[in-house]
Amino acid sequence: MPRSNFSPSSCLEMKEKAARSTAEIAFVIEAEAAAAMMKEWGVAVAPELLVALVPAALRLARPPISNFHVGAVGLGTSGRIYVGVNMEFPGLPLHHSIHAEQFLVTNAAVHGETGIRCIAVSSAPCGHCRQFLQELRGAAEMQILVTSDGPGSAFLPLSSFLPRPFGPPDLLHKDHPLLLEPHDNKIALLDDEEETEAAGCGGICNGIGGALQERLRAAAAGAARASHAPYSKCPAGFAVADSEGRVYAGSYEESAAYNPSLGPVQAAMVAYVAAGGGGGRAGEGYGFVAAALVEPEGVAVSHEATARVFLSVVAPRAHLKVYRFHSSAAA
Amino acid sequence: MEEETLRETAEMGFVIEAEAAAAMMTELGVASAPELLATLVPAAQRLARPTISNFPVGAVGLGTSGRIYIGVNVEFPGLPLHHSIHAEQFLITNAAVHGEAGIRCIAVSSAPCGHCRQFLQELRGAAEIQILVTSDGPGSAFRSLSSFLPRPFGPPDLLHKDHPLLLEPHYNKIALLDGDEEAEAAAGGGGGGGTCNGIGGGVEARLRVEAEGAARAAHAPYSKCPAGFAVADGRGRVYAGSYEESAAYNPSLGPVQAAVVAYMAAGGGGAGKGFEFVAAALVEAEGAVVSHEATARIFLAAVAPRAHLKVYRFRSSADPA
Repeated sequence: MPRSNFSPSSCLEMKEKAARSTAEIAFVIEAEAAAAMMKEWGVAVAPELLVALVPAALRLARPPISNFHVGAVGLGTSGRIYVGVNMEFPGLPLHHSIHAEQFLVTNAAVHGETGIRCIAVSSAPCGHCRQFLQELRGAAEMQILVTSDGPGSAFLPLSSFLPRPFGPPDLLHKDHPLLLEPHDNKIALLDDEEETEAAGCGGICNGIGGALQERLRAAAAGAARASHAPYSKCPAGFAVADSEGRVYAGSYEESAAYNPSLGPVQAAMVAYVAAGGGGGRAGEGYGFVAAALVEPEGVAVSHEATARVFLSVVAPRAHLKVYRFHSSAAA
Repeated sequence: MEEETLRETAEMGFVIEAEAAAAMMTELGVASAPELLATLVPAAQRLARPTISNFPVGAVGLGTSGRIYIGVNVEFPGLPLHHSIHAEQFLITNAAVHGEAGIRCIAVSSAPCGHCRQFLQELRGAAEIQILVTSDGPGSAFRSLSSFLPRPFGPPDLLHKDHPLLLEPHYNKIALLDGDEEAEAAAGGGGGGGTCNGIGGGVEARLRVEAEGAARAAHAPYSKCPAGFAVADGRGRVYAGSYEESAAYNPSLGPVQAAVVAYMAAGGGGAGKGFEFVAAALVEAEGAVVSHEATARIFLAAVAPRAHLKVYRFRSSADPA
């Protein structure tokens, strides 16, 4: 990947065009749409387009605690472009926060992307994110450009941001699937899955019928199958439904360094926001009506209690059901 | 030298006073304190509690006071991984509990992860902290933290340069509300009155005072929600720790974790033993944008289910010096 240096004038021109045309960019830009944008703005290569899109990404961020917006734009190996933004949740400990780089990778995962080659981001990735990104194949060579470096900014490999990293090679066999690579965890839900009712109601809760409940369960189970959790061997998935019956699901994404792991609830939040879901700006909650968690029974890492705390603050009327499965070695 | 070190440090505690460190150096023929750190890393690793990964990490740091602090990783089965304590975070928190003003160098058994390289940015002079990774082998050398995390994001991006950083004195204004909310963890707490869980009013008052003191000292300039947590063991001893925030948010160390460090650093929860807390206290801001209560309850339910937790709230005020 050649380094690109941008002259101040071409950068400014591109930014102005970007500001006009991308007032409402989506969180995923298909390869053809990206190619069209590139032609329109006279941008030669896709990585340059990423830089032009960062200001628009910034506007989509939801950081009501810090008011410090971060926008990240990444190029997938498929040619698709993914947007990531930071999200914060007032009332909760800060470990519930989602960083823009994590959002980007999770967004890519939700859309079946297999690799991220370069990322333009509005401010220097923090150590937590530099660590999280180690979970991707070829992490060292991933190209990162920090737009706050100004017109002279260039793409630099992730290895220069985190030299001598700790990561998957320290704990996993080299052939073990990494984040964004196919996982096929064995998830066989227990027959007498534990129903954990938020309210004591029977067949229909909160207006949620059996069909929606079933879709939530299936979505969360699918997310658990795809989950990257090789360290704890506790894959998990979470699904949420909005008031219009649309279901969004995300997979637990573990980090070799443990703490930077992204919880399944956060992953579902990314799926929801990336699909255009609203809410979360200062003072606002999220209008979820129901949720489902799929996780192994009786194991090293359990998300249920934390998921309940999250929902109680962010979407107190959401009804959560938990489904468990016998844990077996992650595929 | 290694054999001697193994003998000497078989019963090493988590804090080595400057005089004891000097004596060790003389006996081991080590010229400087930083060199001593590396020799102590294996012994530190033996104190680790990585019950999920079985990957022990030991860190040994030299404070500006001349004291040496040990840090180890601690994991908690049954809880999400964000409850884990890294050895470098343990070391810093251990230093904070003992009133240390700064950490100049650290020897650690494996390369610090990005989470820790970020957490260490909260210290004054972070870029110049010297780090040696013993797994690099005999040729290992001290290198500056800036070489481990070039172009960092950190306190200077969010705070005024004179704002106190981690390990520097903080004096958060904590005035507990008169009608402090008592939140009873156990069902039997409701009618507990004077004594709950065998915990007399004396221990409860000490827990409250310690947690309050820890909240006063907490480094929480980003959320402006300082907090402190205290735990009591079965022998009436109380240990407290302060919430330690990171500019990058997620690497922040919760007040519960800080209290666990205080407990372990004082010798609590040795090999094979659990965390035998019988009571705890949390002091945090009312209506806080960052609230720890629910998470503290989740932690105690998994780690010390019989511990009785009381929560005390204070009205939050503007970020003081």
